[in-house]
Amino acid sequence: MKRYSAFAVAREALTGHKGWERAWRKAQPKKRYDVVIVGAGGHGLATAYYLGKRFGITNVAIIEKGWLGGGNTGRNTTIIRSNYLQDPSAAIYEKARSLYETLSQDLNYNVMFSPRGVMMLAQTEHEVRGYLRTVHANALQGVKTRFITPAEVKKIVPIIRLDGPRYPVLGALWQDRGGTARHDAVAWGYARACSAMGMDIIQKCEVTGVRQEAGRVTGVQTTKGDIACDKLGIVVAGHSGVVANMAGFRLPIECVALQALVSEPIKPVMDCVVMANTVHGYMSQSDKGEMVIGGGADQFNNYSQRGSFHHVEETVRALIETFPMLSRLKMLRWWGGIVDMTGDRSPILSKTPLEGCFINCGWGTGGFKAIPGSGWGFAELMAKGHSPLTEEFSMWRFREGKFIDESVAAGVAH
Amino acid sequence: MTRDLVVIGAGPAGMAAAATAAEAGLSVALLDEQKRPGGQIYRDVDRAMVRRGAILGADFAHGAGLTAGLRHDRIKHLAGAVVWAIEEGFRVSYTQDGKGAQVSGARVLLATGALERPMPVPGWTMPGVMTAGAAQILLKQSGVVPRRAVLVGSGPLIYLIAAQMVRAGTPPLALVETQTRGDMMGAMRHLGGALRGFWTLAKGLKLLAEITRARVPRHTGATQIAIEGADRAEAITFHAAGRAHRIVCDTVLLHHGVVPNTQAARSLGVTHRWNTAQQCFLPQVDDWGATDVPGLMIAGDGAGIGGATVAEIAGRLAALHAACETGHLTREQRDARAGSLHRALDKDRAIRPFLDAAYPPFAQALAPADATIVCRCEEVTAGTIRAHAGLGCTGPNQAKAFGRAGMGPCQGRYCGLTVTGILAQANGQTPDETGYYRIRPPLKPVTLGELAAMDNPGQDAAE
Repeated sequence: MKRYSAFAVAREALTGHKGWERAWRKAQPKKRYDVVIVGAGGHGLATAYYLGKRFGITNVAIIEKGWLGGGNTGRNTTIIRSNYLQDPSAAIYEKARSLYETLSQDLNYNVMFSPRGVMMLAQTEHEVRGYLRTVHANALQGVKTRFITPAEVKKIVPIIRLDGPRYPVLGALWQDRGGTARHDAVAWGYARACSAMGMDIIQKCEVTGVRQEAGRVTGVQTTKGDIACDKLGIVVAGHSGVVANMAGFRLPIECVALQALVSEPIKPVMDCVVMANTVHGYMSQSDKGEMVIGGGADQFNNYSQRGSFHHVEETVRALIETFPMLSRLKMLRWWGGIVDMTGDRSPILSKTPLEGCFINCGWGTGGFKAIPGSGWGFAELMAKGHSPLTEEFSMWRFREGKFIDESVAAGVAH
Repeated sequence: MTRDLVVIGAGPAGMAAAATAAEAGLSVALLDEQKRPGGQIYRDVDRAMVRRGAILGADFAHGAGLTAGLRHDRIKHLAGAVVWAIEEGFRVSYTQDGKGAQVSGARVLLATGALERPMPVPGWTMPGVMTAGAAQILLKQSGVVPRRAVLVGSGPLIYLIAAQMVRAGTPPLALVETQTRGDMMGAMRHLGGALRGFWTLAKGLKLLAEITRARVPRHTGATQIAIEGADRAEAITFHAAGRAHRIVCDTVLLHHGVVPNTQAARSLGVTHRWNTAQQCFLPQVDDWGATDVPGLMIAGDGAGIGGATVAEIAGRLAALHAACETGHLTREQRDARAGSLHRALDKDRAIRPFLDAAYPPFAQALAPADATIVCRCEEVTAGTIRAHAGLGCTGPNQAKAFGRAGMGPCQGRYCGLTVTGILAQANGQTPDETGYYRIRPPLKPVTLGELAAMDNPGQDAAE
């Protein structure tokens, strides 16, 4: 792998950009691997990367039914933050956020991490109290956040209207090292690094069955033939239930579509991320100048990766009250991603009833921000059988009632 | 509002379908972007006929009969309604007078017609270059004709527009045609069909005679077409008959055929297949225009290029089918009325293979040179798309992530076929294997204010 550098960019600029090589190899499946990861999204690729980097396991295949990074990794609003209430959540999200800080250097791939600050608006008294509590919890967890006044909000985001009749701004939870990254680049960066370690990324290869013997996983059946493996990691987000079913177990997961939309590009008007959880809307401005707006989730289960009106109208109506200048903006694109939700709105990183088979799912609406931390912890779990980061996220917590209840705590869409 | 049939597009197919369905007893909503019915072919016919009938010709006058059919109390004509989303079931969202609204119906007929096939040649994005169809819109609606214009490309529409410009007293400086003598020879094997469409052929010959009488020079078999100019079109250059040509002009009008506008059908997941003869994707429909999405029909050029007469007949057939499915007509009544229409359709379609073969799209615009811009919205060149393929990009949807092609305000309408074509060639795949952009709402950009001002939010909350 040729390293990317300022020098390489300058050289290529002078020679017509003809010298760039493919970022990752085209691979056909071998008969057998030590580890097979199903799903070449951010979480799957990050898992493979840390398996290689931290534990020296490089005889790995990552198989993907579409193309890498083409699922939820490529269709989210790219927000990165770690201002969670519960300790296990704050730990894994803060691990992810801190890895994002140096990910570009680590991968030698510019993931365009932009710690522009994340602001969660408090628009009801209930939210004010909730966020004050979160700030205190974050202080104990070592996550740097603070509660800011409406005047400070207005200073950071001049286009905001503080005194909307239905949704006034009463303050905000502010994390100044939160922000965004380029979602495709995260997948591509991990993919390139995995490929450089000799791992095979096999695209357009769908898993059709999980092979097992005496309660132990032995491989997968795919549209490109059978592949044997010692360990199997299922990292397929919205389709987790489907693949788990092949492996013979059920998950406490529901799948719904989450909406997002993008406006036409305009000049810079907002240089941080604003989340308005009361109305399930969040917004940032992309480098191109588009306003990227996330909506709430559909209230019915489905697998269609497309937008629908449920909630979007409501979200938009409320956002316009808070940001009146948006009303004349044209919406250019609109899409949906299938998110896999658990009952306590916290992820599952877990062993499964099938020995050697591990599952990483249930990230709901907030998976992108967790990619490096999730990969870090899940790789450790797969390599060593346990990890401090993932301990509390076992799938058996639902049987034991040991929830990590972010759904009540955060009051967020997930 | 809920209607038995929602028709989208008030061109010949949509107007004929709305009238036929209303007569059969269905309640119909007819939505169209324009303030007045007619579509592109009969654009603003009721007003334009009075003012410019002599220039536009007898075929154009036929449209007035169709708009008359819309005066029926079971037809709700929503004029100036821009449809930006269709959800299965069906719920159609549109903007009218700055406000979002919705209309529901168990059956939807897409009569969204055709788009001019984009013609990416060097210089095509400069001011002073537009499509020939756009020039014709200016002529029909506003009586504006470009002076010192050159018509470039291929196809019967070029002759019609040239003749109309002659009649308007400002003939084009020249016709630069890309079809070759070989194309015409090859088309001769379809002459049998062409002769069944004798009247169409005769009309074409008459147009050519008009152009020749006005002494408009014609160059055929043109290649290496490029538009020159510092910051606007100043001249066109090309090779024809073994030598280089350069024509100084103010306006270049490009046209090399039309292709179905499939955005709405794609957004609903209708199966599309590549059609080699017409060099475009076609939605798969049956003899009645029904698609593989239950309740969804397509009629007119949107289902495959056939022209105004074919579109009108197809619209009537789809309406009869909808009337039968809703119990307004028995199967026997439907078939009795459809018999002569099916025969007329066969007859009118007979000339198509001849025209497709005689006037193929310009090969050098289907596979543009590396430096030529393909996606105008995001300014992505053909060379960049080829480079994407070299880095492992397998299809148009991935190309969006690689370099933003197809992500601008036109929603990929303008570059879709070209990007598919380039990637298919670069990856050694068929267009079907390569696929097409996934089309999602909004089909046309909608402001957040319009979205927030939706008419019936209560209905959404209840669901």
